[in-house]
Amino acid sequence: MNYFIIGYYAMLIGASCVAAYFKNRQAFLLIFTLTLVSFVMGLIGGESVLWSVTVAAGLIAASAGIAYSFREFLIIILPKQGAKTMRTAPLTASFGLFVVIIYVIAAVFAPVIAPFGQAEVVGTSFAPPDDKMLLGADQLGRDMFSRIIYGARNTMGLSLMTTAIAYLMGCVLGMLAAVRGGWLDQFLGRLVDVIMSIPSLIFALLLLSIFGTQLYILVLVIAFIYTPYVFRLSRAVAGNIVVMDYIEAARLRGEGTWHLITREVLPNAMAPLVAEFGLRFCFVFLLVAGLSFLGLGIQPPTADWGSMVRENATLISFGEITPLIPAAAIALLTVSINFIVDWMLYLSAGLKD
Amino acid sequence: MKDVFGIVAKRLGLGLVTLLIVSIIIFGAVEMLPGDLAQAVLGQSATPETVEAMRKELGLDRPAPVRYLDWLKGAVTGDFGTSLANKRPVAEQIGPRFANTLFLAAYAAVIAVPLSIGLGIMAALYRNSVFDRVANVATLTSISSPEFFVGYILVLFLAVLNPLFPSISSLSEDMTLAQKLERTFLPALTLVLVVTAHMMRMTRAAIINLLASPYIEMARLKGVPNWRVITHHALPNAWAPVINVVALNLAYLITGVVLVEVVFVYPGIGQLLVDSVTARDFPVVQASCLIFASTFIILNLLADVGAILTNPRLRHPK
Amino acid sequence: MAREKSVLLEIKDLHIEGRVDEKWIEIVHGVDLTLHRGEVLGLIGESGAGKSTIGLAAMGFARDGCRISGGSIEFDGMELTSTPESDLRVLRGSRIAYVAQSAAASFNPSHKIIDQYTEAPVQYRIRKRMESQEDAIELYRRLRLPNPDEIGFRYPHQVSGGQLQRAMTAMAMSCRPDLIIFDEPTTALDVTTQIEVLAAIRDIVDQFNTAAIYITHDLAVVAQMADTIKVLLKGDEVEQADTRTMLDSPQEEYTKSLWAVRSFRSAQKTPADPSETPVVSMKNVDAAYGDIKVLEDISFDIHSGRTVAVVGESGSGKSTAARCITGLLPPTSGTIEFKGEVLPASYKDRTKDQLRQAQMIYQMADTALNPKKRISEIIGRPAAFYGNLKGADLKKRVDELLDLIELEPRQFYERFPAELSGGQKQRIGIARALAADPTFIICDEVTSALDQLVAEGILRLLDNLQQELNLAYMFITHDLATVRAIADEVVVMKDGRIIEKGPKDEMFTPPHDPYTDLLLSSVPEMDPDWLTTLLEERGVDNVGEAARDHQS
Repeated sequence: MNYFIIGYYAMLIGASCVAAYFKNRQAFLLIFTLTLVSFVMGLIGGESVLWSVTVAAGLIAASAGIAYSFREFLIIILPKQGAKTMRTAPLTASFGLFVVIIYVIAAVFAPVIAPFGQAEVVGTSFAPPDDKMLLGADQLGRDMFSRIIYGARNTMGLSLMTTAIAYLMGCVLGMLAAVRGGWLDQFLGRLVDVIMSIPSLIFALLLLSIFGTQLYILVLVIAFIYTPYVFRLSRAVAGNIVVMDYIEAARLRGEGTWHLITREVLPNAMAPLVAEFGLRFCFVFLLVAGLSFLGLGIQPPTADWGSMVRENATLISFGEITPLIPAAAIALLTVSINFIVDWMLYLSAGLKD
Repeated sequence: MKDVFGIVAKRLGLGLVTLLIVSIIIFGAVEMLPGDLAQAVLGQSATPETVEAMRKELGLDRPAPVRYLDWLKGAVTGDFGTSLANKRPVAEQIGPRFANTLFLAAYAAVIAVPLSIGLGIMAALYRNSVFDRVANVATLTSISSPEFFVGYILVLFLAVLNPLFPSISSLSEDMTLAQKLERTFLPALTLVLVVTAHMMRMTRAAIINLLASPYIEMARLKGVPNWRVITHHALPNAWAPVINVVALNLAYLITGVVLVEVVFVYPGIGQLLVDSVTARDFPVVQASCLIFASTFIILNLLADVGAILTNPRLRHPK
Repeated sequence: MAREKSVLLEIKDLHIEGRVDEKWIEIVHGVDLTLHRGEVLGLIGESGAGKSTIGLAAMGFARDGCRISGGSIEFDGMELTSTPESDLRVLRGSRIAYVAQSAAASFNPSHKIIDQYTEAPVQYRIRKRMESQEDAIELYRRLRLPNPDEIGFRYPHQVSGGQLQRAMTAMAMSCRPDLIIFDEPTTALDVTTQIEVLAAIRDIVDQFNTAAIYITHDLAVVAQMADTIKVLLKGDEVEQADTRTMLDSPQEEYTKSLWAVRSFRSAQKTPADPSETPVVSMKNVDAAYGDIKVLEDISFDIHSGRTVAVVGESGSGKSTAARCITGLLPPTSGTIEFKGEVLPASYKDRTKDQLRQAQMIYQMADTALNPKKRISEIIGRPAAFYGNLKGADLKKRVDELLDLIELEPRQFYERFPAELSGGQKQRIGIARALAADPTFIICDEVTSALDQLVAEGILRLLDNLQQELNLAYMFITHDLATVRAIADEVVVMKDGRIIEKGPKDEMFTPPHDPYTDLLLSSVPEMDPDWLTTLLEERGVDNVGEAARDHQS
């Protein structure tokens, strides 16, 4: 028994008592369950488990704090309408916004922020962190921190471009199918079903093995694989719109297909499509990261989070967390986008009624 | 009942056609190689004579449709040709590895399916409670993390910092089942974590959807006790959505397995596929892709057939 | 009707809140209600009046996202607001039962109808399973369901809507409750089916002397069913009185407005000159969706300045006829002539001018107007498209049109449809049709989604416009009150065929084809004795179905 363990349990039990006193049933249940769970885990795993729990709780509390203050910050600086929306935002969403903004800044100003170039060898291989290199060096002696900053630019930029291409093709085809109907709709629908019946990672591996792994091929292949998913989405969204009477009215007026798509269907399809863009970006991003991790995505020496995990994986067996940093960077971004999308979907669903 | 068989037969037929088209895509993709297979394998520096000899050896002098039919005939009978890298029959390499992958996937599924359905139903029943909210954030985090991130975290905590399980899951023939289970615990756990998150969210959504039906409200207004509303009124209608969720996620397992196998150096078909892609060993790539795609299609097919068979409207036609 | 006069249900100052965006908003603001044993109370109001919410509260039940926030509900001496959920549950089904609007959705698709009937009696140990089944068959017979011995052993989707609704009424009776809540039980049904269900409900409530709360938005229906009527508006009570008093002398302005609608009649025009070329003429038109034939040998003419009402129940083909005229569904045979010349079958092959002359107004103004466009764009587009108007000319035209539909141009010019009321949206729909400067307009159930008073305003407007612009109307409706109000000629349709056609006055005086008779006589009237008289006329055992058998 040491002071840490005594303090740990005293804190938890104290907090649950406070929650119970203020009749906050949910908070009490949460804290007390945590107490019981750490009791069991502590018996099995010893003190280190309790430390991990403490660190995790601290991280969550810190994130909640950041999220809270960032939301307040946005409420103050945004114009009226935006501030009003932000006030209803859950903490998860404002945390997501915060992370995404940080990432975007890192990506845009990468050369300014990063102390070294992404391919520049500045130290010995696997050099530990020092004043010069914040996170140490990788297997070739390049600065990890600089590479992570550049990685934001490369991985995100590539995924964004790919998603945009897939969206453009998928939406145009999907809306065309919905508005035109008939054999075109049938044909595209069947085609998409077939393409989607090959798992996307497998399909990507097959195509990349054939066409090589140049950057533009990577973009085109992944965009091609994701187009059917966007097609299905936009076809479904537009499908709900084209049955509306105002579309029928426009058809009977004699309006052309292009007018129907751009003026009548698209304005009504924007909200769900934009929300879904975030999700699709996540999927593309994860696929790119996965491919890079397998050594078939973005090629060295270009910095990229997926391949950085793979290159430094051996460090894990020495108990180092360095290779987990780029992996965590990937997870953090996708989690954040999911948080925002969750909120946006909730907002657009709430607007309906 | 005749109607149901008709619909099932139709769905099976559609699945078969899909499978056929997918096989054409997989075969045709390799035909789209710049130059041709021999040129691609030997590289730019090869002399025309060696390329020509290779072409003969691979039978590339015959027209593509003929080669496709040969390949398909072979694939159906379990003969996928010879590997370019080591000249051994492809089936011989894939066979044991496919078995390993199925073992891993089954291991994960056996834990994940009951766990996530149970948790998903709980989250739906106690909607908006602390449990539901915590589960929402946790599952969202898990879904958003790449499989290799989850895998390496588990390695760090359960293999390196606390050496409870091996971090590398090599298998050998003479291992007992218990040893195998221990060896493959970490990759299986990784898959469980990722798949459970997906499956739990989908189960929750399906059950919430179901509980909003007017007939559930009617049952409550008839004074039916809560447990009976669930077992008698909700459950008989829940099969179709739940089967759908399970099949979709098992299909998802198939893709997830590739990355996890690489993380844990597990001798499965995913690892083989990645190695063959890097080595540009096309016969192996084609065969593995076909196997992955078929499994995926068959699972989706089973989900649809399950949904048809449990639909009361179709089971008792007018 | 001698009734026991002890109080069964007493609701005092009931407040109910609904959850909107994490906030609780009150939706029922202090309603009182007293119900005696064996009495039937009609709750009437528009959608959003809180009728269903109050009905459910009488069972101590609040839907997800709703809560009873104040007041008392006393059922037979028991205070429901303070009773624990487990005891409330025992009341439900046994002493208070519920009949939902959509029987098709409210029966569990996985169980046989009779098993759902026996569930409550068996659970409460009132009857054994076999006894309860016999009881069910007895009730099915009494409710005049076809094949009463066998129908219960079918699954819900194997039985028609009207029959399911009666089976659900039987199910509510299974424990012989003291009180039944009927929540719009006939709203989803056609008029001829509605009669059967109404008769069944009234019959069974009378026989078992059960008290009932009958919730509906249809005045004529509630007049048949209720002893007392309570009128609700936006969660508040407007007034309450016994049925005859309420019908004869409503006190409140709102109630009077509900009654008012049936007073409008357009002036009867002289019959059109038969030698004059009709604006639109359908000649022997057949049409099909895929292999399913939906129209057979449809012929009728519409003359300029005249209104032809096409009447029928759902599935009669009346909207399909309109789709043939507009060219959305090309006929399989026959022709459609416009001012004597044959129109191309598909709208895609018609000229811009042909498209311009025939316009359409839709039932649901919500889906008929693009929610992302401003009113000026919605009305302006046809004017710009057909008339090539631009800039100031276009704005002038839009202003003119807004004047025509009696809306202040400056107020509406920049607005979006979502900012308008239902009646205003419908007026915008009319303006869009007028913007094309048409000679012929199809009105597809244009008033059926509107409140009665607003609907009357729309009918008056359409009538004025017809006289001013000499328009020809094709008026599709299932509501005979609307037909009486506006039609010059009537076409009665059933199962894709024309049963009868002729001038309005002729159509409303017998004798007729049996189906027309059935249809006309099935439309509930405000007279509280209407149903009783009608059933006597038809012979009590002949509720609709016999007449239908005769028909086929």
